[in-house]
Amino acid sequence: MMKSSSIRIVVLAFAVVALASAALASTAGAAVWKFNGTELSGKETIVGAAYSSSLNIPSAATVECEHFLYSMKISNSAGKGVGEVTEVPLYECKVIPSTCTVAAIEPEKLPWPTKLSTVGTTDYLVIEKVSVGITYGGEECALDGTKVVVAGSAGGKVENTAQQATFDKATFEATGTVLKVGSSPVEWNGVFPTEGFEAHREQALEG
Amino acid sequence: MAKLVRLSRYLLGGIAILLCVPAGALAHEKEFAKFNYCPSKTEGVAHCLYSVTNSGEILLGKKKTKIEAPVTLQGGYSKENSETHISTFTAASGAETLVKTKENVEGGLLGLVPPEHSPPLVVLLSKYFFENEITGVKATLELAKPASEIEVSNYNLLLGSGLALRLPVKVHLENPFLGSSCYIGSSSSPIIWNLTTGVTSPSSPNTPIEGKPGFPETKEEFRIAQINENTLVENNWSAPSASGCGGILSFLVDPVLDLMLGSTTAGHNTAILNNTIDTATATAVNNH
Repeated sequence: MMKSSSIRIVVLAFAVVALASAALASTAGAAVWKFNGTELSGKETIVGAAYSSSLNIPSAATVECEHFLYSMKISNSAGKGVGEVTEVPLYECKVIPSTCTVAAIEPEKLPWPTKLSTVGTTDYLVIEKVSVGITYGGEECALDGTKVVVAGSAGGKVENTAQQATFDKATFEATGTVLKVGSSPVEWNGVFPTEGFEAHREQALEG
Repeated sequence: MAKLVRLSRYLLGGIAILLCVPAGALAHEKEFAKFNYCPSKTEGVAHCLYSVTNSGEILLGKKKTKIEAPVTLQGGYSKENSETHISTFTAASGAETLVKTKENVEGGLLGLVPPEHSPPLVVLLSKYFFENEITGVKATLELAKPASEIEVSNYNLLLGSGLALRLPVKVHLENPFLGSSCYIGSSSSPIIWNLTTGVTSPSSPNTPIEGKPGFPETKEEFRIAQINENTLVENNWSAPSASGCGGILSFLVDPVLDLMLGSTTAGHNTAILNNTIDTATATAVNNH
C-alpha cells in the first residue's frame, strides 16, 4: 500500500507533467493544412502574389518589390503541415534611398522548407533556409556591383478569415525567426494571399 | 608694393594648402575626407576602402600582441568578380596602404607574462621591467607584397563565410637589441592571412574560431557604407623563421628568437581583428 507522502509525490509529478505539456502547447505546436475546414490529403500547390512587400535593413536601406510572387508545395505529414517554397520570382524592385538601384534580385538555394507552427492559438507559416541575393547598382551607391545575401528564416501569421499570410516584425518575434544581412536583422514586411492552385483551385488555405 | 604683398600672401597661402595635403591625395568633403588617399581616379578602381582595426590580437607562436593602437588599411578596389566575388586592390595614393603602427609585444623580449589574475602590482612591475625601452619589443604589421596582391570580398564579408580579406604581411620587431631589420616574414616568404567573418578550419592544436560580419549602416544617402563591429579571424596561417634580428649577430639572435616564439607552423598562430570598415564608390568620392 502506498504511503500518503508517496501518493502526494506521484500526484505532484502528474501535475508537473500536465503543466509542462500545457505550457509547451501554448508556446509552439504543429498544425495541419486545411481547405474550407477540411484537412488536406495528398499534395497541393499554393501560388500567390504579395499585396505589398519590403525588406528593410535598419540603418541601411529598404528594398521594395512591386511584384513578389511565390509558389509553395504543401502536404500534411504525420499530423503536421509541411511544404517547400519552390519559386519566388521578384520583379520591379527598387531601393530607398534612390542612390542605389537593384541590379539583380533572386532567391537562392530553392526549395526552402516550410512548416505550419502554432504559437498560442495562432497558426504561423515558418519558412526556413531563406536566401535572397540582392546585387546593388548605382554609380554613387556604396555597394554598387556588390551582391548582398539576406538569409535566415521567416515566420508569417496565417489568417484564415482574410485568406492571407502576413509577415512583419511581430510575426518574426512570435515565431523566433530572423533574417539577416551580415549581423544585422532585416525586417520583412509582406502580405501574401494563400490560395490553392491545383485540386483546391481558388480555395483559401487555412492553418 | 601693396600688390606685391598681396601676391606674396596668395603664394604663401597656396604653398600652405599644398603642404597640408600630401602629393597624390585629394581633399574630399566631410564624411568623404576619410577617402582622401583613395586612388579614386585610377583606372579599374571602382570603390574606396578605409578600414580601421580598433582592437584585436595577434598570437605568433607563444607571443601575443594586443592591438591597442588603431591600424588603418586604405586604398581602392575593383568591382567584384561575378563568380568569385573577389575584388583586386590598388594601393593608397599619397599615404601608406597599411599604415605602420607600433604595438607592444606582451612580455617584451623576455617573454615573461604574468597570469591574468596576478595582483595589479605584479602586472605593473612586469610591464616596467619587461616592456621598457631595452627589453620591450614593438611589433609593426607591414605589407609584404604589393597592394595589388591584397584581395577583398564584400560579398563573403557580409555572408559570414569564405575569404573576406587576403592580406600578405610581415611583422617588424623593433628593440635596441634586435636592431632595425628584424622581421618575421618577408616579400619572398610572406605571412598570408586569409581572413574570414565565418568559422575557421585550422590545423591542430588550434580549434575553429568565428568572426563576425558586423552591422552595416549607410551614410550620405547610401553613398558611404559603414560596417561596425566587424571581426575578421584567421588561425591557420604559418610564419617563417625570424630574420635580420640582432644586426651582424643575426646568425645567433634569429635562432634564439625562434626558440622564444616556439612553433609558428599552421595551427599555432591566430589573428583576430576588430574593425570599422567604410566603403564608397570612386565616383561618389570624386564627386564629393
